[in-house]
Amino acid sequence: MQLELPDRDYMFPGHVACPGCGAAVAMRFLLKALGEKTVMVIPACCWSIIAGAYPQSTLKIPVLHTAFETGGAVASGVRAALDMRGDTQTTVVAWAGDGGTFDIGFQALSGAVERNEDFIYVCYDNEAYMNTGIQRSSSTPYGAWTTTTPGRDWKKMRKKNIVEALVAHRIPYAATASIAYPEDLFRKVAKAKAIKGARFLHIFASCPTGWRIPSEISVKIARMAVQTNIFPLYEVEDGLRYTINFFPKGYLVKEYFRLQGRFKHLSEQDLDQIQTMVEEDWKLLRHKAGMS
Amino acid sequence: MKNSTPPFVAHSFRTTEGNKTGSWRFLRPRYDEKTAPCAAACPAGEDIARIEMLTSQGLFKEAWETILMENPLPAVCGRVCLRPCESRCNRREFDEAIAIRAIERFLADTASRDELKPSLERFASRKQRIAVVGAGPSGLAAAFFLSRLGYGCDLFESAPEPGGVLRYGIPSYRLPAAILAAEIEQVAGSGFRLYCEKPVTKALFEQIGNDYDAVFLGCGRSRSVGLLIEGEEPGEVEDGFEFLRRINRGESPAFSNAQVAIIGGGNTAVDAARTVLRLGGKPVLIYRRRREDMPAFEEEISMALEEGVRLLELWTPLRMERKEGRYLLTLQQMRAFDTAPGQKSRVEPAEPRSTMELSVIHILKAVGLEAAEEWQNPPENSEKILRLSDSVLVRSPSIVIHGGDLASRIRSVSHAVASGKEAAIALDILFQKGPDEVLPGLESCRVGNGPALSLEMYMRGPRCARNPHVVVFDEINRDHFQFAARLVQPRLLAEERSRGFAEIDLRISAGLAMKEAERCFNCGLCNQCDNCRLYCPDLAVVRQTDSSARSIDYDYCKGCGICVVECPRNAMSLEKESAPRAQR
Ligand SMILES: Cc1ncc(C[n+]2csc(CCOP(=O)(O)OP(=O)(O)O)c2C)c(N)n1
Ligand code: SF4
Ligand code: SF4
Ligand SMILES: [Mg+2]
Repeated sequence: MQLELPDRDYMFPGHVACPGCGAAVAMRFLLKALGEKTVMVIPACCWSIIAGAYPQSTLKIPVLHTAFETGGAVASGVRAALDMRGDTQTTVVAWAGDGGTFDIGFQALSGAVERNEDFIYVCYDNEAYMNTGIQRSSSTPYGAWTTTTPGRDWKKMRKKNIVEALVAHRIPYAATASIAYPEDLFRKVAKAKAIKGARFLHIFASCPTGWRIPSEISVKIARMAVQTNIFPLYEVEDGLRYTINFFPKGYLVKEYFRLQGRFKHLSEQDLDQIQTMVEEDWKLLRHKAGMS
Repeated sequence: MKNSTPPFVAHSFRTTEGNKTGSWRFLRPRYDEKTAPCAAACPAGEDIARIEMLTSQGLFKEAWETILMENPLPAVCGRVCLRPCESRCNRREFDEAIAIRAIERFLADTASRDELKPSLERFASRKQRIAVVGAGPSGLAAAFFLSRLGYGCDLFESAPEPGGVLRYGIPSYRLPAAILAAEIEQVAGSGFRLYCEKPVTKALFEQIGNDYDAVFLGCGRSRSVGLLIEGEEPGEVEDGFEFLRRINRGESPAFSNAQVAIIGGGNTAVDAARTVLRLGGKPVLIYRRRREDMPAFEEEISMALEEGVRLLELWTPLRMERKEGRYLLTLQQMRAFDTAPGQKSRVEPAEPRSTMELSVIHILKAVGLEAAEEWQNPPENSEKILRLSDSVLVRSPSIVIHGGDLASRIRSVSHAVASGKEAAIALDILFQKGPDEVLPGLESCRVGNGPALSLEMYMRGPRCARNPHVVVFDEINRDHFQFAARLVQPRLLAEERSRGFAEIDLRISAGLAMKEAERCFNCGLCNQCDNCRLYCPDLAVVRQTDSSARSIDYDYCKGCGICVVECPRNAMSLEKESAPRAQR
């Protein structure tokens, strides 16, 4: 019954992520799939801390900590440097949060993808600026409480669709993945690794602290996001070919929202409206995948 | 470019292993295997989750031995057990129950075909010797378990061949004689001595009471309950059980297409009806209540009807007359009342009164059996008797345990096995620790919330550590399972069945058995799926290099609890951290 996944880990215990951190699980999985010949660029985010304070590092691969807005640019530079040394084997990865991707790092990312730089950009999405204390980002979903969308001022804008923004660049490969679907995630990482040019992975990574959930349901909640179609699993090749990887059995978004403190203020009507929005998005995605 | 100095970059050189993040923990996950509902429902307390796990891995011998640990008769129970396990299977609430009985039969048949010899744990020899009376399922089980507990046993059977009700009361289309014989031979390998054609009379019983340290009485019930119909001469109407015994001994009366009435609604009645059909008669089954009230297995009833047995529900015989070598049976129509769902209805004559007449060449009655002789029944309450779940222990004048159908709560083969096991364990406790320890000793080896007992737990085997908590459906993480249809038991067609006594249920292949076993959730049992290790954000679940077992590294485990939630089968628990923190 065991899943067929690589056994080796490229991470040490003793890192300082919160208990139940989805981003820690995401990193574990990514590196299992990529292996040792990987260089990673981490702009400011929770992972800058998780990796350990100087002189510690929790990863068994080289990591460059860089400025918040520079993930795409630094990764381009690292790739160029490796190329100059004739190293084409090593995979370069930019690993950034949603704030560092959707917001402040977006221009560097967009530029790199436009130039079709040869690296994998991974956004681990915990739907807010968690490291600095749960501020909303353009990835924060409609309806969420954050410290900058408090009380009745909960976020009333939709989450930015980052994969579509990258698809608009005709990126060779873009995919969503979730810590709750390790096999799908591994397959996508392996596929991305084999492609040359810019690649983008959007990994849904729960945050017990910022989402106000008990840590033990961290993976379960990520799975529910997929089961409810809030975070569909799909991939896009060459900015054209859409493949949906998982077809849920019609769980209601309510079930997902009910378990999280960050949504506890929402009324039944709000939830109904969110259900409608999720269905709209799903319909659109199916349409793009040629399924309607 | 060449001579330029690279800019200074701070360079980490140490891992994070020095951070003992276990000190953050306020919840503590741990491995905590629990009890599956099927095991708790199995009268023999079989470790079903483990049997299914081993079967799914193709470890058929180990799976078979796991059954034998608790039940010496898997080829029999794999065919005729009423499978209380399946009706409690957690998988029922997901799609359909696991075909536990079919897998049990597969394992027993495979072991027999491959002539496997089980290696079962046993205790060192004890000095006490025990006599077992009756080689039916309870006697065989008692002798088997007593032998494994180290006792010398002599088993006395009155019939020419062992098996009791299994040999003589169950038609071969459900339990072929050769299968039974092979299984009994296997059981006898546990070391007891079997004496057939050795009826135990009251006098002999008293004598063996003196010659042996204890006697197990598993003589079953074989005397038909009187209940005369108006117009019936005593002894005139044959008992269904007696009839089945005749047929199983080799007689084959021809009924040449004539009607035969069978009165009753239990398995014996249904078996007798189906036997009549196979002998060329036209069986009419007469039952005073409704079909859903019949104690016979529903599946057997529907197969009987498919084969051509006619069922008259809500009719009862009023009188019988002899007419030109036949019988004229007058039946009265009944009406059911008090018909709460799931409960046996009560009946009374229908109003207005209505009767019908039935001309038959033979009448069979299967309305219940009692002990052949009064002394076989357990005595009424007295100080020196101990009423256990499926047996009665009498300590004076000599030590006697009444078991099997004489003492069980429910008369079934698996309850007979339970009874034999209970008796064996009770006697061992009595001999080794004394009478006051019997009840607490039995309590300590109950499976889940009982009443089933486990020999493995009694012998302190590895699975005795399992938590008695019975896993419920909501404790299964269904996200890790996919729907899969239950095995469809291959069967002879109705036409093929009614032509003879060939076994109805056909063999299943190893592939099918493994596929079916893989559907099992393995409730409460770690099946090494590795989910706990896979999802741990802190790399704190470690797999031992020498074995496939896992442990939690509490130096680093922050107590997030993901492992416990992602364990598909509730083989872990999450508790408040209470012990003082190891590190700070
Ligand atoms: C230019 C700049 N502005 C602000 C910060 C402070 N800062 C560090 S991490 C962070 C939030 C990062 O959010 P996200 O990218 O979503 O990652 P997360 O912390 O949620 O993992 C911020 C605002 C900074 N390091 N640099
Ligand atoms: S799923 Fe398996 S372990 Fe669970 S109750 Fe059913 S047979 Fe038993
Ligand atoms: S998750 Fe799998 S390996 Fe871990 S305890 Fe549960 S069954 Fe065993
Ligand atoms: Mg974030």
